[in-house]
Amino acid sequence: MGRLRYTISRLLQAIPVILGVITITFLLTDAIPGDPVSIMLGPSPSAQQAAAIRAKFGLDQPLHIRYLNYLVDVIQLDLGTSLYYQVPVTEKIAERLPITLYLLLSSFTFALLTAVPLGIISAKRRNTATDHVSRVVALFGVSTPSFWIGLMLIIVFSYWLGYFPATNLILPWTSPSQIDGASTQVDVIVKSIHHLILPTITLGTLQMAAFTRIERSSMLEVLGEEYVKLARAYGVSERTILRKHAFRNAQLPLITLVGLQLTSALGGAVLTETVFSINGMGRLIITAIQNQDFQLVMGTTLVFGLVFVIGVIVTDLSYAYVDPRVSFEDSE
Amino acid sequence: MAETSTRTEADDAGPEQPEARVGWRYTLTQVRRDPTALAGLVLIAFMTVVALIGFVDGVVFDFLSEYAVFADMGVRQYWLAETVWVNPATDPANARILRPPVGLTNPYYPNEPGTMAHPLGTDHRGRDILARLFYGTRIAITVGIVSTGIAMFLGTFVGAVAGYYGGWIDDALMRGSETLYAIPFLVLVIAFMTAFGRNLTYAMIGVGIATIPTFARLIRSRVLSVREEDYVEAARAAGVRDRNIIMRHVIPNSFAPVLVQATLQVGVNILIIAGLSFLGYGAQPPTPSWGQMLNNSRDYMLPNPWFSIWPGIAILITVVGFNLVGDGLRDALDPRINN
Repeated sequence: MGRLRYTISRLLQAIPVILGVITITFLLTDAIPGDPVSIMLGPSPSAQQAAAIRAKFGLDQPLHIRYLNYLVDVIQLDLGTSLYYQVPVTEKIAERLPITLYLLLSSFTFALLTAVPLGIISAKRRNTATDHVSRVVALFGVSTPSFWIGLMLIIVFSYWLGYFPATNLILPWTSPSQIDGASTQVDVIVKSIHHLILPTITLGTLQMAAFTRIERSSMLEVLGEEYVKLARAYGVSERTILRKHAFRNAQLPLITLVGLQLTSALGGAVLTETVFSINGMGRLIITAIQNQDFQLVMGTTLVFGLVFVIGVIVTDLSYAYVDPRVSFEDSE
Repeated sequence: MAETSTRTEADDAGPEQPEARVGWRYTLTQVRRDPTALAGLVLIAFMTVVALIGFVDGVVFDFLSEYAVFADMGVRQYWLAETVWVNPATDPANARILRPPVGLTNPYYPNEPGTMAHPLGTDHRGRDILARLFYGTRIAITVGIVSTGIAMFLGTFVGAVAGYYGGWIDDALMRGSETLYAIPFLVLVIAFMTAFGRNLTYAMIGVGIATIPTFARLIRSRVLSVREEDYVEAARAAGVRDRNIIMRHVIPNSFAPVLVQATLQVGVNILIIAGLSFLGYGAQPPTPSWGQMLNNSRDYMLPNPWFSIWPGIAILITVVGFNLVGDGLRDALDPRINN
């Protein structure tokens, strides 16, 4: 199967998952007790007003009709209107999603840049002090609640040392005129990175630790393979073995994990955004649930599901770049 | 293809009961020889003892509190009460809230050095942090194990049925579990709790359901290979009902990796539930949980950072324990990595 056909078939496979996400969130939000209308209009709205709102948002229809209506709307890329913010859900998501993606991108970059070397060194110097240290770091990384790391970083680096700010994340695409002490876009980007360091470590530590563990074990496995032994017997230098023979082959499990970690990272983003008061998707979804803003809950969850599904497909596709032997056959 | 899967299966667990028992004994010996796994067991045992102490109201209180001051309040009330019994703003001389640990002073209340009565200090309502940590241990261990049990039970069922029957049942169940996986745990559980109830019971059920896919996938892949085994084939030929084949042969022979995953999952679920409590979706005040303590501590990070430090360390120790044991079990059950 060619790459294009594979991509298309993967996208088609994603459709039931997305449908499932829509269904689950629809049913869950419907089961949430309380009346969104009373939240919008206050505790005792007039019956007329309430009925008008109900009709406007289609809340007077039975469940299955609302579900079908919602599906039709989603297909037309219309996620409805937020009851609380009174703006289209898509608009709200367009405002918040880039912030969360920015955070995710930076924390995955941090995780990969630290985990890959750490895992390789650990595997290469197995059972040495270096290996033990890196294993302990990885163990603690997967065992520490990310939000607690955030709190500790804030205490040490914001309150005590004052190196990094704890709140008010600056986005790199903000206009320089809105930021104090920034005259060019470069200044804004520098400030933005400065702000992003603590949240990145907070969200990225878990991924870093998980990646280090898998990189180490898969590197160990590859280094034990016959062809590596053969290369060694031929007198190929360890450096070349690592770089040319072992490295690429050891990356496949890592790539799989990167895709799968997306879902826990999205959950982690909720916590990280709470700790650092970042107004991204995570906080949006929490406030939406709290305000019983049904349309917004469904819209944001759907987008989370989409981000995850796309992420997994992208990682699947990237197999081929790492390992040319991978053919896109349907392997069930 | 069937040949290779047969071989790996025989290596891993052994198809028949006597051999399987030898396998367990072997596993235990391996784990006992593994110092890190032992360390994990010690950590879990320690936290379990702490959790059990947390069940005995009064023991901790007698040990930790200043009886004279609280004699008028019941034991539980002291632990769990939401009342601020001294307002530092109106009565700074007697302010006892946010007391630092033994031997330290609090820059915000310099008259109040930490005392042995409150070894780890007190929180923003003057409650003893150690006592609340003890109580939180009980909650964390319970919810970690119960939620994992739910996930394991349902996941094993779903995975076994999907793997055994294949076809459209497999497709439907696996798409369903992918769907659950596609929604971040936290979001799914928060929505679930908002819909059904904002307390620990629903947190456990919610996390259990949200983590079904982990077990379902694992057991399904095992079942796919076990299904091809001769003894399953034989049972089927002998007319044994599918349900019995699944329950008596397929599941028991797929169980080793599930046990490893379950041990690791307890740690993961403790982290998830701490995160939920941190966001306010977990144990409801005044019942103390670690995540909720961390949430409370956010407003006091500058005056008393210790308040934020202890619950995190408690979570860390517990989860490290489960991870070490899980890793040890995996090494013992998978000789390939162990060599």
